[in-house]
Amino acid sequence: MTIRTRLTFWYAGILTVSLLVIGYGTYQEIDERLRHDHRRKAEEHALAEAGEMVFQVGLPAILLGLLGGWWLTRRALAPMAGLTDAIKKIHERNLREPLTRTRNGDELDRLTEVFNGMLARLDDSFNRTREFTLHASHELKTPLTILCGETETALRDESLSPAERERAASQLDEMRRLTRIVDGLTLLAKADAGQVALKLEPVRLDELVRDNFADAQILAEPQGIQVELAGCEEITVRGDRHRLRQLLLNLADNAVKYNQPQGRVTMSLRRNGDTAELTIANSGPGIPPEILPRVFDRFYRGDPSHSQTVDGCGLGLSIVQWIVSAHDGSVTITSEPSKLTTVTVRFSLLEVRCQ
Amino acid sequence: MRVLVVEDEKKTASFVRKALQAEGFAVDVCHNGDDALAAARTTPFDGIVLDIMLPGRDGLSVLRQLRESKNATPVLLLSARGEVNERVEGLNAGADDYLPKPFELAELVARVRALTRRSAENKSTVLRVADLTLDTVTHRAQRGGMEIELTAREYRLLEFLMRDAGRICGRMMILEKVWDYDFDPGTNLVDVYIRRLREKIDANHQPKLLHTVRGTGYVLKETP
Repeated sequence: MTIRTRLTFWYAGILTVSLLVIGYGTYQEIDERLRHDHRRKAEEHALAEAGEMVFQVGLPAILLGLLGGWWLTRRALAPMAGLTDAIKKIHERNLREPLTRTRNGDELDRLTEVFNGMLARLDDSFNRTREFTLHASHELKTPLTILCGETETALRDESLSPAERERAASQLDEMRRLTRIVDGLTLLAKADAGQVALKLEPVRLDELVRDNFADAQILAEPQGIQVELAGCEEITVRGDRHRLRQLLLNLADNAVKYNQPQGRVTMSLRRNGDTAELTIANSGPGIPPEILPRVFDRFYRGDPSHSQTVDGCGLGLSIVQWIVSAHDGSVTITSEPSKLTTVTVRFSLLEVRCQ
Repeated sequence: MRVLVVEDEKKTASFVRKALQAEGFAVDVCHNGDDALAAARTTPFDGIVLDIMLPGRDGLSVLRQLRESKNATPVLLLSARGEVNERVEGLNAGADDYLPKPFELAELVARVRALTRRSAENKSTVLRVADLTLDTVTHRAQRGGMEIELTAREYRLLEFLMRDAGRICGRMMILEKVWDYDFDPGTNLVDVYIRRLREKIDANHQPKLLHTVRGTGYVLKETP
């Protein structure tokens, strides 16, 4: 039951009670007068007359009161609906935009003020987390540079035995992996803080997809995976060429990595209404439904045994998700265990007028 | 060839100096922006490796000052921030190249080499390593007189390696020059392409030309 309905009921109740009080008062008064006039059957007369008065005057008054009350509560609570809509639109990226206040000093304005205060505190703590990640990844870069540089310098030493050389090279591999993780974290932390500027321009998405298809074929070859391009319509979108290529390569690389030997990868780019629809499907082992909603989470690894065999920084899909949202697109992933896993990315088409 | 390395982090400055010296460069080191500016104004260097984050005057400011005073020494910027915007900003300020930290040493050396050699670049249209030839006009590759079929990407990769024959080429630089990627994709794309290219140019021939330098990069040369 909404506050409005509840208030209206209470209001109706109060009106009825006050009407009864008025009726009783009227009855007493009339009764008194009639007794004074020494009339007979005064009691019945008084009751009838009072009843009539209450019925004739009171009922319209009640109806009027009810209508008035309904209108009043509606008017008083109207800003609530606006407030609810505004609050509904809040997410972690627009915490900085406070709700609009009426500044009339009423209870709702006060509530809005307090709520804005809470938003500011939330924004502050989100910022701190972001800044922490950003600073942490920056701080890691100097020691990483030194570690990589010195190990590489050691590798150049001709007097190193093959075993020592192999050990140093293997350490270097791990340092590079750490470097990729730190790079990915830096990118995402900056993207969260809105510090990554995209260079948006008209981009022929089909050309990028064809290019990526060639790379995907090469990547898939060692595992005997077949890659096919099931359609590639001529499509232009507004985007950042480098980031779109990064997106495509990440998805193609995932489709190959999380696949079975002799498996299949199918790519396609199609027009669907006014959106460009890119799909990359693989015949991999599939993703269990309970893991599916979390695959875009940073460092989320559904299957701990899988992370041992697949080399990656654990941020690939998070980066994909960022690139897509930075282009106002959407990305979804569907999977049937031991059947197809399909990633679908949608972008708005850029209408290019043919001359 | 004389190179100035401007880097406040002593250990980093030290291994960069060693690596460049091993390549035959004469190397001077400065640890802050003001010293760097003074050194660059008094000594004619063939190239400058300039860290952006320096105590006092930062790298970008040093670079702007140099360019304002009509000093055109090629500059390679180093940065721990590694932002795409910063790269653009650096190149706009007059840098010739940009390398984000943490970098691979081989990468840095290759870039400094490219920077200092820019004018004397190999302009020949037919590149040759042992009995492998690549015609950069017709895009034809031959080994021992036998034609080698190459895809467009393989051709670009081979041309890049042949232009720098005998020198180690780092993965990032290959990704940047052959694929035009400004990010590390974290895939083994380069390794797989190198493997394919090796099958095409080395499989039926001796000596082997395309070598992997474990942990560092790739090199095309006659003797391993």
